[in-house]
Amino acid sequence: MKVTEIVEKLNLKILSGHEGLGREITSGYTSDLLSDVMGHADAGAAWVTIQTHRNIMAIASLRDLSAVIITCGEIPGDDTVKQSNEEGIPVLGTDLSTFELTGRLYTLISRS
Amino acid sequence: MRPFRADLHIHSLLSPCGSLEMSPAEIITRAAGKGLDMIAVSDHNTTLHCELMVTLGLEAGITVLRAAEVTSAEEVHSLVILPGEMARISFQHWLDEHCTHVPHDPHLFGDQVVVDRNENIIGEIDHYLPAALSATLDEVETEAHRLGGLFIPAHIDRPAFSINSQLGFIPEDLYIDALEIVGETPDLLYPVIRNSDAHIPEHIGRRYTIYMLDHPSFAELAMALRGEEGRHIIQPEK
Repeated sequence: MKVTEIVEKLNLKILSGHEGLGREITSGYTSDLLSDVMGHADAGAAWVTIQTHRNIMAIASLRDLSAVIITCGEIPGDDTVKQSNEEGIPVLGTDLSTFELTGRLYTLISRS
Repeated sequence: MRPFRADLHIHSLLSPCGSLEMSPAEIITRAAGKGLDMIAVSDHNTTLHCELMVTLGLEAGITVLRAAEVTSAEEVHSLVILPGEMARISFQHWLDEHCTHVPHDPHLFGDQVVVDRNENIIGEIDHYLPAALSATLDEVETEAHRLGGLFIPAHIDRPAFSINSQLGFIPEDLYIDALEIVGETPDLLYPVIRNSDAHIPEHIGRRYTIYMLDHPSFAELAMALRGEEGRHIIQPEK
């Protein structure tokens, strides 16, 4: 499933990294501990978090993640947006809680 | 100049996790007993015991620095050590402005009381002090330095509430005066210090750092962290 499909089906806002909207999402990972994501998220995953610090982009790049979904209406800073654009990894936003977004994402991915 | 022992991370009973035995008077007595020359009182997101502790320290011949252990929005703990009382007052206002007012339940998390020198309770904080502020780690660092203070990410090698656990690695554009570690000294580009992070009297001075200084003070500590004019960190002791 491509990032664009998830954006459409989950009604996400595209906050940055438009170049990467064609990336393939193969799984999901939900965590707010960057040390955990760094060690455990699979390549191709969509990462769901409330963290907005610029380090999220370094970790998304390191693990070759397909997208970062920021929940609860949190807004990433300019430096995060800049790095997302540079890396071509989309940052997507939602007002939903992490629980709700993860549930919907899981349903979508497991059906595809 | 000579070596001075300092433990710059001590919680008083104002922190909910701090034992009720950790009154300002008891901390000073214990610190003296441990041969510490300088300490910092660093409660979670508050500086309200600093002034009393500075006064008690003066009487006992121990230098007390004003500090707080700040929780950023990312839930990273950092020590902010302030140069004086004006800076402390400004920083307390800033903490109040960025407080997220999570309700506190003393039965679950412990008491958060302000006491006087005779250990009478003179105030109680009704929000949960260690809760994350609305300020990001970058904003904590900026405010600490705007006030002339020191910014020291706390217990960076712990698996919770550390810059490494929360952010995966140390952002290289963050202006860091020193890193506080608990375990083995890692190979880092920053000055490294050790402190007790004491929550009970027995832990005061369980870890400390020896600094080469002219005399124990904020200004001398800042010089030692920068390695200026012969001041330096001798060794972080376990």
